[in-house]
Amino acid sequence: MSMSQTPMIEMRNVEKHFGDHHVLKGISLTVKKGEVVVIIGPSGSGKSTLCRTINRLEPIDSGEICFDGKPLPEEGRALAALRSQIGMVFQSFNLFAHKTILENVMLAPMDVLHKPQKEAREAAMELLKRVGVDSQAGKVPAQLSGGQQQRVAIARSLAMNPKAMLFDEPTSALDPEMIGEVLDVMTELAKEGMTMVIVTHEMNFARRVADRVVFMDEGRILEDGTPEEFFAHPKTERARDFLNSIKDH
Amino acid sequence: MRGAGLTVRDVLYEAPGAGTRKKIAVATAASLLLLALLLGLVIRQFAIAGQLDRKYWFFFARGTTWSFLGKGLLGTVEVAVVSGILAFAAGFFLMVGRISQSRISRALCTGIIEFTRGVPTLLFVYFFFLVAPQLGIRLHAFWKITLPVSISACGVVAEVLRSGVNAVPKGQREAALSLGMREGSVFLKIIFPQAFRVVIPALLSELVIVLKDTTFAYVINFPDLMQNASVLISNYDAMLSVYLLIAVIYCIINYLLNKAAEAVAVRGKEKGGAK
Repeated sequence: MSMSQTPMIEMRNVEKHFGDHHVLKGISLTVKKGEVVVIIGPSGSGKSTLCRTINRLEPIDSGEICFDGKPLPEEGRALAALRSQIGMVFQSFNLFAHKTILENVMLAPMDVLHKPQKEAREAAMELLKRVGVDSQAGKVPAQLSGGQQQRVAIARSLAMNPKAMLFDEPTSALDPEMIGEVLDVMTELAKEGMTMVIVTHEMNFARRVADRVVFMDEGRILEDGTPEEFFAHPKTERARDFLNSIKDH
Repeated sequence: MRGAGLTVRDVLYEAPGAGTRKKIAVATAASLLLLALLLGLVIRQFAIAGQLDRKYWFFFARGTTWSFLGKGLLGTVEVAVVSGILAFAAGFFLMVGRISQSRISRALCTGIIEFTRGVPTLLFVYFFFLVAPQLGIRLHAFWKITLPVSISACGVVAEVLRSGVNAVPKGQREAALSLGMREGSVFLKIIFPQAFRVVIPALLSELVIVLKDTTFAYVINFPDLMQNASVLISNYDAMLSVYLLIAVIYCIINYLLNKAAEAVAVRGKEKGGAK
């Protein structure tokens, strides 16, 4: 990778408050094209909020966020257009409850990209096959297991051909036996070169898939390095405590 | 599935044991006896007052009576259906205005909603019947009843719809926005369809109220069921028998509406919706 390449995501001195609560403190983070960055840290450390500022689901107080070289638009058509280039997968899946699995995946390409129905349907079936839930295409979300729903959610994001994907604790709401199937799909995506920002508690997954691990605590990024460095030699006391606390389980 | 047969009673109380079942049986028998006694008393009183005389009932054997009442029923249904549609349309826009970003729109729509909910329907009827003509507004009798009934219902409809919108999980909107959908699209394609499903039973209940409000048609001599019944009463001097009959008719229609509401609610649950 050449050094001059524009980063996919660039955050500079981002600050964010929820009322009196200072959630993001001087966050600066760069994600290169094709890079997989895993954000870990104790709950309440601001990692989900950070993830959600990247497509402006959370507006920021100050600082700057650029996506693919351009600053995030604040509102309107431009913001919607930008969001359509960034896939997002949520902890609670958020599939459209009143639509079938197939319709969930077809909706945004038709509504946002104005794809013809036939084309959207074919692409959607292709994606559902890729994540292994094509046999469920006619069902509604409530009829699927959590793992299946989350894989559909990933397919729904991919249907927009995003330049990057954000994962906000994608496996935290899943039964243990379903976590693997979702992580497998994500691993596959990473291998194909998707730019990914992943908030997760799955340390083995982070070790295996991440190019970089970012450790956050109390709204700050305390460490930013390769998984090898981070897991073997955490530099800060807080990171060591955190890693020890999850090892006990 | 087990959930399908579950009633409110099952949720509120434990399954009755042998002792409780005996108590329930005794109480049921006693209340049935009491009910039969009351009914007997009422009929006896009717007989004493001469209300069971042939002259109060014979005209129900005539086809013309029924076609006259049928016309009235048709008038009632017309007013109720058109009022229902108008109230829904107005309620929808009031709801959208109330949840909009603009403070002025919010204040205005909140004001209209509270006003229409707070004022009795009869006052709106009087306005269209008595005040509007003085202002030079000439309306067909149909609109003199339909407009006040719709206005009276639209605020409630707006609030019912708003409660539905609030019941849709926040994640639905976020997911749609994250895919690049615009606010308007998100509302019409994601939020409102789900909200609507949730509130169909409440909307049908409101339709029952609309139907009952149509009886104010007698104030302006619009030929609805109530008005035609009044004509029959003055023709045959048979107040009790006619009122009894149309009470039963109103009751049947509203019972059917409530049944429809229940059926829709059950179907909605089976289809899943939010988990």
